[in-house]
Amino acid sequence: MTDKIRGRLLDALLSLGLFSGYVIALLRSVQDLGYARDEGFYFQAASSYGRWFELLFKDRKAALVPRTVDTYWNANPEHPGLVKGLFALSNLILQKKHHLFAMEGTSYRFPAMVLGGLALVLVYLWGKEARGRAAGLFAALCLALMPRFFFQAHLACFDVPIVTMWTLAAYSYWKSVRAPSLLWPVLTGIAFGLALDTKHNAWFLPFVVVAHIVAREVIHQLDARWRGVRDPGFAASRLRSLTALGAMALFGPLVFVALWPHLWHDTLARVRWYASFHLNHEYYNMEFLGKNYWSPPMPRGYAWVMTATTVPGITLLLFFVGLATRARARLSALLGAAMKDRSARIARWTANMPAPRFDPGSTDLLWLLGLVVNYAAWTSPNTPIFGGTKHWMTAYPFLALFAGCGFAAVVRELRRELLRHRRRFTWAVAAARPALPVTLLAGASMIAAPAAETFHAHPWGLSAYTPLAGGAPGAATLGLNRGFWGYTTGAIVPDLDREVPKRGSVYIHDTAGPSWDMLATDGRLRRDIRGVWSVAGADFALYHHEKHMRGQEFQAWVAYGTVRPLIIAGLDGVPVILVYKQPPPR
Amino acid sequence: MSRAPSRLRWALLAIPLLGLAELAGQYWAEHRAPAFEAWATIEVPVREMKQPGDLVVIAPGWADPPARRVLGDDLMPLRDVARPDETRYAHAIEVSILGERAPELRGWREEGRRDQGKFVIRRLANPAPEAVIYDFVDHARPGEADVRGTDPPMDCPWNASAPVIAGGLGGHPTFPKERFECPAGEYFNVGVTVIADEEFRPRRCLWSHPLLHGELVTRFHDVPLGQVIRGHGGLYWMIERERKGAPITLTVRVDGDPIGSFTHHDGEGWKGFEMPLGAHAGQRAREVELAVSTTNYKDRHFCFEADTR
Repeated sequence: MTDKIRGRLLDALLSLGLFSGYVIALLRSVQDLGYARDEGFYFQAASSYGRWFELLFKDRKAALVPRTVDTYWNANPEHPGLVKGLFALSNLILQKKHHLFAMEGTSYRFPAMVLGGLALVLVYLWGKEARGRAAGLFAALCLALMPRFFFQAHLACFDVPIVTMWTLAAYSYWKSVRAPSLLWPVLTGIAFGLALDTKHNAWFLPFVVVAHIVAREVIHQLDARWRGVRDPGFAASRLRSLTALGAMALFGPLVFVALWPHLWHDTLARVRWYASFHLNHEYYNMEFLGKNYWSPPMPRGYAWVMTATTVPGITLLLFFVGLATRARARLSALLGAAMKDRSARIARWTANMPAPRFDPGSTDLLWLLGLVVNYAAWTSPNTPIFGGTKHWMTAYPFLALFAGCGFAAVVRELRRELLRHRRRFTWAVAAARPALPVTLLAGASMIAAPAAETFHAHPWGLSAYTPLAGGAPGAATLGLNRGFWGYTTGAIVPDLDREVPKRGSVYIHDTAGPSWDMLATDGRLRRDIRGVWSVAGADFALYHHEKHMRGQEFQAWVAYGTVRPLIIAGLDGVPVILVYKQPPPR
Repeated sequence: MSRAPSRLRWALLAIPLLGLAELAGQYWAEHRAPAFEAWATIEVPVREMKQPGDLVVIAPGWADPPARRVLGDDLMPLRDVARPDETRYAHAIEVSILGERAPELRGWREEGRRDQGKFVIRRLANPAPEAVIYDFVDHARPGEADVRGTDPPMDCPWNASAPVIAGGLGGHPTFPKERFECPAGEYFNVGVTVIADEEFRPRRCLWSHPLLHGELVTRFHDVPLGQVIRGHGGLYWMIERERKGAPITLTVRVDGDPIGSFTHHDGEGWKGFEMPLGAHAGQRAREVELAVSTTNYKDRHFCFEADTR
């Protein structure tokens, strides 16, 4: 077996391991997780689409009648149809036909889990191709072991699917630019269409590609002027990047419309409505550093602080190391040439550094732009912040890829240092020569904390903060949001099953009706327990803590005449959900 | 032999150790705050330290729910938990975790302290307590108070078993079972409820949605007067933060003599007032009217509390 075949086999095994390991971890932990508010609406939409698919399988002609298409696909036009369509097909085929899951809700969630697993594979492959196997694998693990990513990967929502589609489109573009190919530009266009059909974060992709093309051009010109270097391959790669951009423009809208039946009629007006909905999205509430934000100006530091307090510290540190090492490798020759007559110090510093090899994909630049553009919207005080970290999660694969580079740099230094002491530490030299033991040991020491943080956070993903914030208690003291979407009802379902009398009623607060109903459909919640929309007259009242929601808790105090909750649940001593009980009549 | 590593290289070599340090940090973060069950250990010491009239405060504020579950309504009653402010309390029991202190008790003198596992329980003395002679919210019930509208004249009779009405998600505060009900509609009632102020803190108060015309008057009988009538007024913050509503005026009269008025504008939050009683100061068994009015009654979810001291 040649090294190339052995390498491909290993990549296939690692990809399969990452994918299946993650999907299994998600499936095994999903039963603890209640349903987020938005999931309830997507269940409803997916059920509607599912009925259309049933009709399509039975009578294609009838299903394609415009009025019929609208009847089923006009549900939830706020978000594109692709992923909800996958939810519907999963429910229809895997659950209704093959009864594959223990809970009905999991069948809707499964496609997003699969896409979460695929995101890891994409990051691994990209990292491996660009920076080596260790970097790629560590990058994939960094992404997998971000507590918020792990939380979102469980949900029948679009936030993890768009991470996958976004990364797929960016990766395809990168492949298109690197080498002549007909396949990759077409795939770039299709992947862009899939991303458009997943969530509106896809709108940022053309900005990244255009910025990449422009910045490559600028760097190429500077290289020529300061270093006198003109890479012969640049012109061809320029053409390839423009071809990929053209493919995005051509195939993206086609795929977008083709896979969203809601747009098959009255297309322009409906696209306009969809765009307008997101461009003029209303502001919801979000607590940040003790203050409730509900209208502009939004805090400019929000995305940075939330990233710093929710992404494991070691991942962030390795990201910075990776970014610095890559910047040094890429820019030092250029900087040295630019400054040779102006700063002797910089000239000396850069003199011994090897000139970078031509990278037709301009990988570091693309990763940096993928990161920066995804965060850019949150530098505007007019961008709503209510969705928390999920809004810029499309940046996390790039953050993880740089962290992978950082990891590779640390391993390189460790090996070098062990070899330097080869006389003193013969055992260490023995260990350092084969890279694997050093890589594994270093990897274990640097991935242990993210793993511990991620698995401990479950099922309180949105309440979890890293040790940098002092964990969940530190974040509560700082006044950082403890949760939203009412999903934590899932954590107290066993208590409700135990406490609520037969045919009793529960005020479900922020849990959407369809999300509550799905708990009963799953068999987790007793079917006789009624969810109601007012605390008045309810036997029990839920309160999902959010700063601006406190009035809901006060409603229960007055209605029940007590401030004493019956049940408290949360993370590390921090209350996230409370249950009040109507006292017996006096 | 190659060169010794530079400082930068040493820093790189230390990164795996930082990874392990973060792991230790995670263990610390998971265990630093007491578990919900651990709060059971404070009940006995709090009961031992608390004197009648003492306020119980939890620091940090987010740890309040497990304390309320353990201490219950007798040690942490609604009127204390949703207090207008701390000025009336001579003493407070502060239960602290994580080294936090209650900002509202800053400057209070420590009189006793017990360390109980992860908890520190202190008895604190207010350096300048103000004794309340009469709390109007406590006396808004038949026999001691009545409610009427002035334009058109209407009586708002007491209903001891009215249907409890709560606004639900995004809705109005709860209208309690016992309340004065005006014939103008369900919003026009006077009863004890709790609103969320501008910091979403609970404030116990008398719901008094003004009427279309005239005043909504709550009249208290046989009121012993102090030197001032003092209080607060506000709206459920989710309503007043929009800053779209008309100002609301609360006029106070003693035996028919206006002694002052307080106007609340949207966005002012839980706003205090104090009206000197002048010649009425120190009088016994007076009749006090608290009258609420506005120029446009749309969404005027006004709620106030008042006392005399």
